Amino acid sequence: MDFEMERFISALIDRSPPHALVHLQLVLIPVIIAFLIAFPVAVLLTRRRFVKYTDRVMTFFNMGQTIPPLAIIAVFFPFLGLGREPALFALTIYALLPIARNTLAGLKGVPQEVKEAARGVGMSEWEMLMRVEIPLSMPVVMAGVKISVVLTSGTAALGALVGGGGMGAVIFAGIDFFRPELIVAGTLVIGAIAIILDRIITLIDYMLTPPHMKM
Amino acid sequence: MIVLDKVDKIFPGTTVPAVKQVSFQVDEGNICVFVGPSGCGKTTILRIINRLIEPTSGDIYIKGKKVSDKEVNPDHLRREIGYVIQQIGLLPHRTVEQNVALVPRLLKWPEERIKPRVKELLDMVGLDSNEVIHKYPFQLSGGMMQRVGVARALAADPPIMLMDEPFGAVDPIVRGRLQDEFLRLQKEMKKTICFVTHDINEAIKMGDHIVIMNKGELVQHGTPMEILTEPANDFVKDLIGVDREIKLLDLTRSSEIVDRNKEVLGETREKDCFISALDPVQRALETMMKNDSDIVVVRDGEKEIGTICWGDIKKLINKLSGEA
Ligand SMILES: Nc1ncnc2c1ncn2[C@@H]1O[C@H](COP(=O)(O)OP(=O)(O)O)[C@@H](O)[C@H]1O
Ligand SMILES: [Mg+2]
Repeated sequence: MDFEMERFISALIDRSPPHALVHLQLVLIPVIIAFLIAFPVAVLLTRRRFVKYTDRVMTFFNMGQTIPPLAIIAVFFPFLGLGREPALFALTIYALLPIARNTLAGLKGVPQEVKEAARGVGMSEWEMLMRVEIPLSMPVVMAGVKISVVLTSGTAALGALVGGGGMGAVIFAGIDFFRPELIVAGTLVIGAIAIILDRIITLIDYMLTPPHMKM
Repeated sequence: MIVLDKVDKIFPGTTVPAVKQVSFQVDEGNICVFVGPSGCGKTTILRIINRLIEPTSGDIYIKGKKVSDKEVNPDHLRREIGYVIQQIGLLPHRTVEQNVALVPRLLKWPEERIKPRVKELLDMVGLDSNEVIHKYPFQLSGGMMQRVGVARALAADPPIMLMDEPFGAVDPIVRGRLQDEFLRLQKEMKKTICFVTHDINEAIKMGDHIVIMNKGELVQHGTPMEILTEPANDFVKDLIGVDREIKLLDLTRSSEIVDRNKEVLGETREKDCFISALDPVQRALETMMKNDSDIVVVRDGEKEIGTICWGDIKKLINKLSGEA
Protein backbone atom coordinates (compact mmCIF):
# COMPACT_ATOMS: atom_id res chain seq x y z
CA MET A 1 0.00 0.00 0.00
CA ASP A 2 1.43 3.35 -0.99
CA PHE A 3 0.90 6.49 1.01
CA GLU A 4 0.13 9.49 -1.22
CA MET A 5 0.43 12.83 0.50
CA GLU A 6 -1.98 14.52 -1.87
CA ARG A 7 -4.68 11.96 -1.26
CA PHE A 8 -4.08 12.20 2.47
CA ILE A 9 -4.53 15.98 2.49
CA SER A 10 -7.65 15.74 0.38
CA ALA A 11 -9.02 13.11 2.78
CA LEU A 12 -8.40 15.46 5.70
CA ILE A 13 -9.69 18.65 4.12
CA ASP A 14 -12.41 17.61 1.68
CA ARG A 15 -13.66 14.27 2.85
CA SER A 16 -13.50 14.45 6.65
CA PRO A 17 -15.39 17.59 7.74
CA PRO A 18 -18.99 16.37 7.19
CA HIS A 19 -18.14 13.01 8.79
CA ALA A 20 -16.44 14.83 11.66
CA LEU A 21 -19.64 16.76 12.36
CA VAL A 22 -21.66 13.54 12.49
CA HIS A 23 -18.96 12.02 14.67
CA LEU A 24 -19.21 14.93 17.07
CA GLN A 25 -22.93 14.26 17.35
CA LEU A 26 -22.25 10.56 17.93
CA VAL A 27 -20.14 11.60 20.91
CA LEU A 28 -21.98 14.56 22.39
CA ILE A 29 -25.55 13.31 22.19
CA PRO A 30 -24.82 9.96 23.92
CA VAL A 31 -22.65 11.60 26.60
CA ILE A 32 -25.28 14.25 27.35
CA ILE A 33 -28.10 11.70 27.53
CA ALA A 34 -25.88 9.38 29.59
CA PHE A 35 -25.18 12.26 31.98
CA LEU A 36 -28.87 13.07 32.31
CA ILE A 37 -29.50 9.44 33.26
CA ALA A 38 -26.39 8.41 35.21
CA PHE A 39 -25.98 11.57 37.31
CA PRO A 40 -29.46 11.66 38.90
CA VAL A 41 -29.50 7.89 39.30
CA ALA A 42 -26.13 7.95 41.07
CA VAL A 43 -27.31 10.83 43.29
CA LEU A 44 -30.39 8.80 44.23
CA LEU A 45 -28.20 5.79 45.03
CA THR A 46 -26.41 7.85 47.70
CA ARG A 47 -29.74 8.67 49.42
CA ARG A 48 -30.52 6.50 52.40
CA ARG A 49 -33.71 5.01 50.92
CA PHE A 50 -32.00 3.83 47.74
CA VAL A 51 -28.56 2.75 48.93
CA LYS A 52 -29.71 -0.87 48.91
CA TYR A 53 -30.11 -0.80 45.10
CA THR A 54 -26.56 0.44 44.46
CA ASP A 55 -25.04 -2.95 43.62
CA ARG A 56 -27.80 -3.94 41.24
CA VAL A 57 -27.85 -0.65 39.35
CA MET A 58 -24.07 -0.47 39.10
CA THR A 59 -24.00 -4.03 37.77
CA PHE A 60 -26.35 -2.87 35.01
CA PHE A 61 -24.12 0.13 34.18
CA ASN A 62 -21.10 -2.18 34.23
CA MET A 63 -22.75 -4.50 31.73
CA GLY A 64 -23.43 -1.47 29.54
CA GLN A 65 -19.72 -1.07 29.17
CA THR A 66 -18.59 -4.70 29.03
CA ILE A 67 -21.05 -5.71 26.31
CA PRO A 68 -19.67 -4.35 23.02
CA PRO A 69 -21.86 -1.63 21.46
CA LEU A 70 -22.14 -3.72 18.32
CA ALA A 71 -23.68 -6.56 20.33
CA ILE A 72 -26.20 -4.14 21.81
CA ILE A 73 -27.12 -2.96 18.34
CA ALA A 74 -27.51 -6.58 17.28
CA VAL A 75 -29.78 -7.35 20.23
CA PHE A 76 -31.95 -4.29 19.62
CA PHE A 77 -31.88 -4.67 15.84
CA PRO A 78 -35.49 -6.00 15.70
CA PHE A 79 -36.72 -2.82 17.43
CA LEU A 80 -34.34 -0.12 16.20
CA GLY A 81 -33.05 -1.44 12.89
CA LEU A 82 -29.87 0.13 11.53
CA GLY A 83 -28.71 3.73 11.15
CA ARG A 84 -28.10 6.72 13.45
CA GLU A 85 -30.60 5.93 16.23
CA PRO A 86 -29.32 2.48 17.23
CA ALA A 87 -25.76 3.85 17.14
CA LEU A 88 -26.72 6.68 19.49
CA PHE A 89 -28.58 4.23 21.71
CA ALA A 90 -25.65 1.82 22.01
CA LEU A 91 -23.15 4.61 22.63
CA THR A 92 -25.37 6.11 25.34
CA ILE A 93 -25.44 2.83 27.21
CA TYR A 94 -21.69 2.62 26.78
CA ALA A 95 -21.16 6.11 28.24
CA LEU A 96 -23.19 5.58 31.42
CA LEU A 97 -20.69 3.78 33.63
CA PRO A 98 -17.86 6.31 34.12
CA ILE A 99 -20.33 9.09 34.92
CA ALA A 100 -22.33 6.98 37.37
CA ARG A 101 -19.22 5.57 39.02
CA ASN A 102 -17.56 8.95 39.47
CA THR A 103 -20.75 10.63 40.71
CA LEU A 104 -21.03 7.93 43.39
CA ALA A 105 -17.38 8.32 44.32
CA GLY A 106 -17.59 12.12 44.34
CA LEU A 107 -20.61 12.21 46.64
CA LYS A 108 -19.15 9.59 48.95
CA GLY A 109 -15.96 11.66 49.16
CA VAL A 110 -17.68 14.70 50.67
CA PRO A 111 -16.19 14.90 54.20
CA GLN A 112 -18.47 13.53 56.90
CA GLU A 113 -17.91 16.52 59.19
CA VAL A 114 -18.98 18.95 56.48
CA LYS A 115 -22.24 17.04 56.01
CA GLU A 116 -22.69 16.85 59.77
CA ALA A 117 -22.27 20.62 60.05
CA ALA A 118 -24.66 21.25 57.16
CA ARG A 119 -27.32 19.07 58.81
CA GLY A 120 -26.47 20.66 62.15
CA VAL A 121 -27.27 24.20 61.00
CA GLY A 122 -30.64 22.98 59.78
CA MET A 123 -30.21 22.39 56.05
CA SER A 124 -32.80 20.00 54.69
CA GLU A 125 -31.55 16.98 52.77
CA TRP A 126 -32.32 18.75 49.48
CA GLU A 127 -30.52 21.96 50.51
CA MET A 128 -27.50 19.98 51.60
CA LEU A 129 -27.43 18.09 48.30
CA MET A 130 -27.67 21.22 46.17
CA ARG A 131 -25.43 23.52 48.20
CA VAL A 132 -22.87 21.19 49.68
CA GLU A 133 -22.69 17.69 48.24
CA ILE A 134 -22.99 18.41 44.52
CA PRO A 135 -20.64 21.43 44.47
CA LEU A 136 -18.00 19.56 46.46
CA SER A 137 -18.20 16.45 44.26
CA MET A 138 -18.06 18.34 40.95
CA PRO A 139 -14.35 17.74 40.21
CA VAL A 140 -14.78 13.97 40.49
CA VAL A 141 -18.03 14.01 38.50
CA MET A 142 -16.42 16.00 35.70
CA ALA A 143 -13.49 13.59 35.61
CA GLY A 144 -16.06 10.86 34.91
CA VAL A 145 -17.63 12.90 32.12
CA LYS A 146 -14.19 13.33 30.62
CA ILE A 147 -13.53 9.58 30.64
CA SER A 148 -16.92 9.02 29.01
CA VAL A 149 -16.20 11.54 26.27
CA VAL A 150 -12.78 10.14 25.43
CA LEU A 151 -14.04 6.53 25.42
CA THR A 152 -17.06 7.41 23.30
CA SER A 153 -14.95 9.40 20.83
CA GLY A 154 -13.09 6.23 19.92
CA THR A 155 -15.98 3.81 20.10
CA ALA A 156 -18.20 6.04 17.93
CA ALA A 157 -16.06 4.98 14.94
CA LEU A 158 -18.01 1.71 15.06
CA GLY A 159 -21.19 3.69 14.33
CA ALA A 160 -20.30 3.59 10.65
CA LEU A 161 -20.62 -0.21 10.64
CA VAL A 162 -24.36 0.03 11.34
CA GLY A 163 -25.00 2.97 9.02
CA GLY A 164 -24.64 5.60 11.73
CA GLY A 165 -21.97 7.57 9.86
CA GLY A 166 -19.16 9.49 11.57
CA MET A 167 -15.41 9.27 11.09
CA GLY A 168 -15.69 5.49 11.09
CA ALA A 169 -17.04 5.84 7.54
CA VAL A 170 -13.72 7.33 6.41
CA ILE A 171 -11.64 4.71 8.20
CA PHE A 172 -13.68 1.76 6.96
CA ALA A 173 -13.60 3.13 3.41
CA GLY A 174 -9.81 3.17 3.73
CA ILE A 175 -9.81 -0.46 4.90
CA ASP A 176 -12.19 -1.58 2.20
CA PHE A 177 -10.31 0.13 -0.65
CA PHE A 178 -6.77 -0.32 0.68
CA ARG A 179 -6.26 3.43 1.13
CA PRO A 180 -3.96 3.99 4.15
CA GLU A 181 -4.37 7.78 3.70
CA LEU A 182 -8.02 7.50 4.66
CA ILE A 183 -7.30 5.30 7.68
CA VAL A 184 -4.66 7.68 9.02
CA ALA A 185 -6.75 10.80 8.30
CA GLY A 186 -9.82 9.28 9.99
CA THR A 187 -7.82 8.25 13.05
CA LEU A 188 -6.19 11.66 13.33
CA VAL A 189 -9.51 13.48 13.20
CA ILE A 190 -10.99 11.20 15.89
CA GLY A 191 -7.95 11.90 18.03
CA ALA A 192 -8.37 15.63 17.48
CA ILE A 193 -12.06 15.48 18.41
CA ALA A 194 -11.22 13.60 21.64
CA ILE A 195 -8.51 16.09 22.57
CA ILE A 196 -10.62 19.18 21.83
CA LEU A 197 -13.60 17.86 23.81
CA ASP A 198 -11.27 16.93 26.66
CA ARG A 199 -9.91 20.50 26.74
CA ILE A 200 -13.39 22.01 26.71
CA ILE A 201 -14.51 19.83 29.61
CA THR A 202 -11.35 20.68 31.52
CA LEU A 203 -12.34 24.33 31.18
CA ILE A 204 -15.90 23.71 32.36
CA ASP A 205 -14.50 21.61 35.17
CA TYR A 206 -12.24 24.47 36.23
CA MET A 207 -15.19 26.84 36.38
CA LEU A 208 -17.23 24.40 38.46
CA THR A 209 -14.42 23.43 40.83
CA PRO A 210 -14.75 25.09 44.26
CA PRO A 211 -11.90 27.55 44.95
CA HIS A 212 -10.29 25.51 47.72
CA MET A 213 -9.77 22.58 45.32
CA LYS A 214 -8.10 24.64 42.58
CA MET A 215 -4.52 23.95 43.44
CA MET B 1 -34.82 24.86 79.68
CA ILE B 2 -33.43 21.56 78.31
CA VAL B 3 -34.61 18.33 79.88
CA LEU B 4 -33.64 14.79 78.96
CA ASP B 5 -35.80 12.07 80.46
CA LYS B 6 -34.45 8.51 80.61
CA VAL B 7 -32.84 8.66 77.19
CA ASP B 8 -31.40 5.48 75.67
CA LYS B 9 -29.57 5.15 72.39
CA ILE B 10 -28.59 1.84 70.90
CA PHE B 11 -27.07 2.29 67.45
CA PRO B 12 -28.31 -0.14 64.82
CA GLY B 13 -26.02 -3.15 64.55
CA THR B 14 -24.70 -2.72 68.10
CA THR B 15 -25.82 -4.28 71.36
CA VAL B 16 -24.15 -2.05 73.95
CA PRO B 17 -26.06 1.21 74.40
CA ALA B 18 -24.05 4.34 73.50
CA VAL B 19 -26.26 6.26 75.94
CA LYS B 20 -28.03 4.53 78.80
CA GLN B 21 -30.94 5.92 80.86
CA VAL B 22 -29.58 9.45 80.88
CA SER B 23 -31.70 12.12 82.57
CA PHE B 24 -30.67 15.67 83.40
CA GLN B 25 -31.79 19.24 83.21
CA VAL B 26 -29.97 22.34 82.00
CA ASP B 27 -31.23 25.60 83.49
CA GLU B 28 -31.76 28.71 81.41
CA GLY B 29 -28.62 30.84 81.01
CA ASN B 30 -26.34 28.11 82.35
CA ILE B 31 -23.37 26.33 80.85
CA CYS B 32 -23.72 22.60 81.44
CA VAL B 33 -20.51 20.74 80.68
CA PHE B 34 -20.48 17.05 79.73
CA VAL B 35 -17.18 15.48 80.54
CA GLY B 36 -15.83 11.95 80.29
CA PRO B 37 -13.41 9.77 78.36
CA SER B 38 -13.58 9.42 74.59
CA GLY B 39 -16.45 7.23 73.44
CA CYS B 40 -18.56 7.73 76.58
CA GLY B 41 -21.46 9.18 74.59
CA LYS B 42 -21.01 12.96 74.89
CA THR B 43 -21.35 13.71 71.19
CA THR B 44 -24.28 11.32 70.95
CA ILE B 45 -26.13 13.27 73.65
CA LEU B 46 -25.67 16.57 71.82
CA ARG B 47 -26.86 15.00 68.57
CA ILE B 48 -29.89 13.59 70.34
CA ILE B 49 -30.80 17.06 71.63
CA ASN B 50 -30.89 18.56 68.11
CA ARG B 51 -32.24 15.34 66.62
CA LEU B 52 -29.38 14.52 64.33
CA ILE B 53 -29.89 11.20 66.11
CA GLU B 54 -33.26 9.83 67.20
CA PRO B 55 -33.12 8.26 70.67
CA THR B 56 -34.09 4.61 71.01
CA SER B 57 -36.29 5.59 73.94
CA GLY B 58 -36.84 8.53 76.28
CA ASP B 59 -37.97 12.10 75.73
CA ILE B 60 -36.37 15.49 75.19
CA TYR B 61 -38.02 18.76 76.23
CA ILE B 62 -36.90 22.26 75.32
CA LYS B 63 -38.67 25.12 77.10
CA GLY B 64 -41.29 22.62 78.22
CA LYS B 65 -42.03 21.50 74.68
CA LYS B 66 -41.48 17.89 73.77
CA VAL B 67 -39.15 18.15 70.77
CA SER B 68 -38.73 14.40 70.36
CA ASP B 69 -42.27 14.40 68.92
CA LYS B 70 -42.71 13.27 65.33
CA GLU B 71 -44.56 16.53 64.48
CA VAL B 72 -41.55 18.74 65.24
CA ASN B 73 -39.60 19.38 62.02
CA PRO B 74 -35.97 18.56 62.90
CA ASP B 75 -34.55 20.96 60.28
CA HIS B 76 -36.48 23.86 61.80
CA LEU B 77 -35.53 22.76 65.31
CA ARG B 78 -31.83 22.80 64.36
CA ARG B 79 -32.04 26.35 63.01
CA GLU B 80 -33.06 27.44 66.53
CA ILE B 81 -30.12 25.65 68.16
CA GLY B 82 -26.53 26.76 67.59
CA TYR B 83 -24.25 23.78 66.98
CA VAL B 84 -20.45 23.83 67.05
CA ILE B 85 -19.27 20.43 65.89
CA GLN B 86 -16.19 18.64 67.11
CA GLN B 87 -14.34 18.77 63.78
CA ILE B 88 -15.38 22.43 63.15
CA GLY B 89 -16.95 21.46 59.79
CA LEU B 90 -16.81 24.78 57.97
CA LEU B 91 -18.04 24.48 54.38
CA PRO B 92 -14.73 24.44 52.52
CA HIS B 93 -16.17 25.87 49.31
CA ARG B 94 -17.75 28.87 51.02
CA THR B 95 -16.12 32.05 52.31
CA VAL B 96 -16.08 32.98 55.98
CA GLU B 97 -18.96 35.38 55.27
CA GLN B 98 -21.05 32.67 53.64
CA ASN B 99 -20.26 30.19 56.39
CA VAL B 100 -21.28 32.56 59.17
CA ALA B 101 -24.41 33.67 57.27
CA LEU B 102 -25.62 30.10 56.70
CA VAL B 103 -28.39 30.00 59.28
CA PRO B 104 -29.64 33.60 58.73
CA ARG B 105 -29.91 32.81 55.02
CA LEU B 106 -31.74 29.54 55.73
CA LEU B 107 -34.09 31.59 57.91
CA LYS B 108 -34.50 34.01 54.98
CA TRP B 109 -33.28 37.10 56.77
CA PRO B 110 -33.09 40.17 54.47
CA GLU B 111 -29.56 40.67 53.10
CA GLU B 112 -29.23 44.16 54.59
CA ARG B 113 -29.63 42.60 58.02
CA ILE B 114 -27.18 39.76 57.35
CA LYS B 115 -24.15 41.86 56.27
CA PRO B 116 -23.79 43.89 59.51
CA ARG B 117 -24.63 40.82 61.60
CA VAL B 118 -21.74 38.85 60.10
CA LYS B 119 -19.32 41.70 60.79
CA GLU B 120 -20.60 42.05 64.33
CA LEU B 121 -20.22 38.31 64.97
CA LEU B 122 -16.68 38.13 63.59
CA ASP B 123 -15.63 41.06 65.77
CA MET B 124 -17.40 39.48 68.71
CA VAL B 125 -15.37 36.25 68.44
CA GLY B 126 -12.17 38.28 68.17
CA LEU B 127 -11.51 38.18 64.42
CA ASP B 128 -10.68 41.14 62.22
CA SER B 129 -13.79 41.07 60.07
CA ASN B 130 -12.27 43.10 57.22
CA GLU B 131 -9.35 40.74 57.03
CA VAL B 132 -11.11 37.37 57.12
CA ILE B 133 -14.58 37.96 55.73
CA HIS B 134 -13.76 37.00 52.13
CA LYS B 135 -11.27 34.27 52.97
CA TYR B 136 -11.89 30.55 52.55
CA PRO B 137 -11.51 28.20 55.51
CA PHE B 138 -8.30 26.68 54.12
CA GLN B 139 -6.70 30.13 54.39
CA LEU B 140 -7.30 30.31 58.16
CA SER B 141 -5.37 28.96 61.14
CA GLY B 142 -6.94 26.34 63.41
CA GLY B 143 -7.79 28.92 66.06
CA MET B 144 -9.42 31.22 63.51
CA MET B 145 -11.49 28.35 62.12
CA GLN B 146 -12.77 27.53 65.59
CA ARG B 147 -13.74 31.15 66.10
CA VAL B 148 -15.60 31.13 62.78
CA GLY B 149 -17.33 27.90 63.88
CA VAL B 150 -18.50 29.62 67.06
CA ALA B 151 -19.60 32.72 65.11
CA ARG B 152 -21.61 30.53 62.75
CA ALA B 153 -23.38 28.84 65.64
CA LEU B 154 -24.20 32.23 67.21
CA ALA B 155 -25.34 33.81 63.93
CA ALA B 156 -29.11 33.75 64.31
CA ASP B 157 -28.84 34.43 68.04
CA PRO B 158 -30.21 31.03 69.11
CA PRO B 159 -31.18 30.80 72.78
CA ILE B 160 -29.50 27.39 72.97
CA MET B 161 -25.99 26.37 71.96
CA LEU B 162 -24.54 22.88 71.65
CA MET B 163 -20.75 22.99 71.64
CA ASP B 164 -18.80 19.79 71.00
CA GLU B 165 -15.18 20.22 72.10
CA PRO B 166 -15.29 23.66 70.48
CA PHE B 167 -11.75 24.57 71.47
CA GLY B 168 -10.27 21.11 70.98
CA ALA B 169 -8.20 21.65 67.84
CA VAL B 170 -5.88 24.38 69.13
CA ASP B 171 -2.85 24.53 71.40
CA PRO B 172 -3.35 25.07 75.16
CA ILE B 173 -2.46 28.78 75.11
CA VAL B 174 -4.95 29.64 72.38
CA ARG B 175 -7.50 27.38 74.07
CA GLY B 176 -7.14 29.29 77.32
CA ARG B 177 -7.69 32.57 75.51
CA LEU B 178 -10.74 31.24 73.61
CA GLN B 179 -12.22 29.99 76.89
CA ASP B 180 -11.74 33.35 78.59
CA GLU B 181 -13.24 35.24 75.68
CA PHE B 182 -16.17 32.90 75.48
CA LEU B 183 -16.92 33.20 79.19
CA ARG B 184 -16.81 36.98 78.84
CA LEU B 185 -19.26 36.79 75.92
CA GLN B 186 -21.53 34.42 77.82
CA LYS B 187 -21.81 36.95 80.68
CA GLU B 188 -23.69 39.20 78.24
CA MET B 189 -25.37 36.57 76.08
CA LYS B 190 -26.69 34.36 78.89
CA LYS B 191 -27.33 31.49 76.50
CA THR B 192 -28.29 28.04 77.61
CA ILE B 193 -25.27 25.96 76.63
CA CYS B 194 -24.44 22.27 76.48
CA PHE B 195 -20.66 22.09 76.30
CA VAL B 196 -18.74 18.89 75.69
CA THR B 197 -15.13 18.29 76.66
CA HIS B 198 -12.90 15.40 77.69
CA ASP B 199 -10.79 17.78 79.78
CA ILE B 200 -11.87 18.06 83.44
CA ASN B 201 -10.01 21.36 83.83
CA GLU B 202 -11.98 22.88 80.98
CA ALA B 203 -15.17 21.49 82.54
CA ILE B 204 -14.40 23.11 85.89
CA LYS B 205 -13.52 26.40 84.24
CA MET B 206 -16.48 26.62 81.89
CA GLY B 207 -19.26 24.87 83.76
CA ASP B 208 -22.01 26.22 85.97
CA HIS B 209 -23.02 22.61 86.14
CA ILE B 210 -21.03 19.49 85.28
CA VAL B 211 -22.32 16.13 84.08
CA ILE B 212 -19.76 13.35 84.34
CA MET B 213 -20.26 10.40 82.00
CA ASN B 214 -18.71 6.99 81.61
CA LYS B 215 -19.63 4.25 79.14
CA GLY B 216 -22.91 5.90 78.19
CA GLU B 217 -24.06 6.38 81.77
CA LEU B 218 -24.34 9.51 83.88
CA VAL B 219 -21.97 9.02 86.80
CA GLN B 220 -22.39 12.26 88.72
CA HIS B 221 -23.71 15.74 88.20
CA GLY B 222 -23.46 18.94 90.19
CA THR B 223 -21.66 22.26 90.41
CA PRO B 224 -17.87 22.20 89.97
CA MET B 225 -17.54 22.74 93.73
CA GLU B 226 -19.80 19.79 94.49
CA ILE B 227 -17.93 17.53 92.06
CA LEU B 228 -14.54 18.53 93.52
CA THR B 229 -15.53 18.32 97.16
CA GLU B 230 -17.78 15.28 96.95
CA PRO B 231 -16.63 13.01 94.11
CA ALA B 232 -19.17 10.18 93.88
CA ASN B 233 -16.72 7.34 93.28
CA ASP B 234 -13.19 6.40 92.23
CA PHE B 235 -13.94 7.07 88.58
CA VAL B 236 -14.71 10.70 89.35
CA LYS B 237 -11.68 10.96 91.68
CA ASP B 238 -9.39 9.66 88.93
CA LEU B 239 -10.94 12.06 86.45
CA ILE B 240 -10.31 15.02 88.76
CA GLY B 241 -6.70 13.98 89.23
CA VAL B 242 -4.20 14.73 91.95
CA ASP B 243 -4.31 18.53 91.94
CA ARG B 244 -7.80 18.70 93.39
CA GLU B 245 -6.93 21.31 96.04
CA ILE B 246 -5.41 23.67 93.47
CA LYS B 247 -8.55 23.35 91.37
CA LEU B 248 -10.62 24.20 94.41
CA LEU B 249 -8.63 27.40 94.90
CA ASP B 250 -9.69 28.32 91.40
CA LEU B 251 -13.34 27.91 92.35
CA THR B 252 -13.31 29.95 95.55
CA ARG B 253 -13.70 33.70 95.28
CA SER B 254 -11.27 35.87 97.22
CA SER B 255 -14.21 37.66 98.85
CA GLU B 256 -15.09 34.41 100.64
CA ILE B 257 -11.89 34.30 102.70
CA VAL B 258 -10.90 37.95 102.84
CA ASP B 259 -9.75 39.21 106.24
CA ARG B 260 -11.57 42.51 106.77
CA ASN B 261 -9.26 43.63 109.60
CA LYS B 262 -8.35 47.21 108.62
CA GLU B 263 -5.18 47.33 110.71
CA VAL B 264 -3.43 44.70 108.64
CA LEU B 265 -4.60 46.56 105.57
CA GLY B 266 -2.68 49.68 106.52
CA GLU B 267 0.62 47.85 106.78
CA THR B 268 0.20 45.92 103.58
CA ARG B 269 -0.72 48.64 101.12
CA GLU B 270 2.85 49.70 100.36
CA LYS B 271 3.68 46.33 98.86
CA ASP B 272 1.53 47.06 95.88
CA CYS B 273 -0.12 43.67 95.44
CA PHE B 274 -3.81 43.98 94.73
CA ILE B 275 -6.47 41.58 93.55
CA SER B 276 -10.19 41.93 92.94
CA ALA B 277 -12.76 40.45 95.30
CA LEU B 278 -14.17 38.49 92.35
CA ASP B 279 -10.81 36.89 91.51
CA PRO B 280 -10.35 33.24 92.50
CA VAL B 281 -8.13 32.53 95.49
CA GLN B 282 -5.73 30.99 92.99
CA ARG B 283 -5.07 34.56 91.79
CA ALA B 284 -4.19 35.67 95.32
CA LEU B 285 -1.64 32.87 95.50
CA GLU B 286 -0.13 33.81 92.13
CA THR B 287 0.08 37.48 93.06
CA MET B 288 1.86 36.62 96.30
CA MET B 289 4.41 34.50 94.46
CA LYS B 290 5.02 37.10 91.78
CA ASN B 291 5.62 39.88 94.33
CA ASP B 292 7.45 37.73 96.84
CA SER B 293 4.94 38.73 99.47
CA ASP B 294 2.80 36.69 101.85
CA ILE B 295 -0.13 39.05 101.82
CA VAL B 296 -2.34 40.75 99.22
CA VAL B 297 -4.88 43.56 99.36
CA VAL B 298 -8.39 42.76 98.15
CA ARG B 299 -10.34 45.45 96.33
CA ASP B 300 -13.98 45.64 95.50
CA GLY B 301 -13.93 48.09 92.61
CA GLU B 302 -11.94 51.08 93.93
CA LYS B 303 -12.60 50.24 97.56
CA GLU B 304 -10.10 48.25 99.58
CA ILE B 305 -12.03 45.76 101.67
CA GLY B 306 -9.33 43.70 103.35
CA THR B 307 -6.41 41.34 102.93
CA ILE B 308 -5.63 37.70 102.29
CA CYS B 309 -2.48 36.21 103.77
CA TRP B 310 -0.76 32.88 103.20
CA GLY B 311 -2.27 31.55 106.43
CA ASP B 312 -5.79 32.23 105.14
CA ILE B 313 -5.11 30.19 102.02
CA LYS B 314 -3.63 27.32 104.02
CA LYS B 315 -6.72 27.31 106.23
CA LEU B 316 -8.93 27.11 103.15
CA ILE B 317 -6.95 24.20 101.71
CA ASN B 318 -7.20 22.29 104.97
CA LYS B 319 -10.90 22.94 105.14
CA LEU B 320 -11.50 21.82 101.55
CA SER B 321 -9.43 18.65 101.88
CA GLY B 322 -11.24 17.88 105.12
CA GLU B 323 -14.56 18.00 103.33
CA ALA B 324 -13.63 15.28 100.85
N1 LIG C 1 -23.36 6.42 64.02
C1 LIG C 1 -22.91 5.52 64.93
N2 LIG C 1 -23.10 4.18 64.72
C2 LIG C 1 -22.64 3.28 65.60
N3 LIG C 1 -22.01 3.57 66.74
C3 LIG C 1 -21.80 4.87 67.03
C4 LIG C 1 -22.24 5.91 66.13
N4 LIG C 1 -21.89 7.10 66.66
C5 LIG C 1 -21.27 6.82 67.83
N5 LIG C 1 -21.22 5.49 68.06
C6 LIG C 1 -20.64 4.83 69.25
O1 LIG C 1 -21.27 5.37 70.38
C7 LIG C 1 -20.33 5.55 71.44
C8 LIG C 1 -20.35 6.99 71.90
O2 LIG C 1 -19.81 7.81 70.89
P1 LIG C 1 -19.68 9.38 71.04
O3 LIG C 1 -20.96 9.93 71.52
O4 LIG C 1 -19.16 9.91 69.75
O5 LIG C 1 -18.57 9.50 72.17
P2 LIG C 1 -17.77 10.80 72.68
O6 LIG C 1 -18.28 11.99 71.95
O7 LIG C 1 -18.02 10.84 74.14
O8 LIG C 1 -16.33 10.53 72.39
C9 LIG C 1 -18.99 5.09 70.90
O9 LIG C 1 -18.75 3.78 71.34
C10 LIG C 1 -19.17 5.13 69.40
O10 LIG C 1 -18.38 4.16 68.78
MG1 LIG D 1 -17.20 13.29 70.66
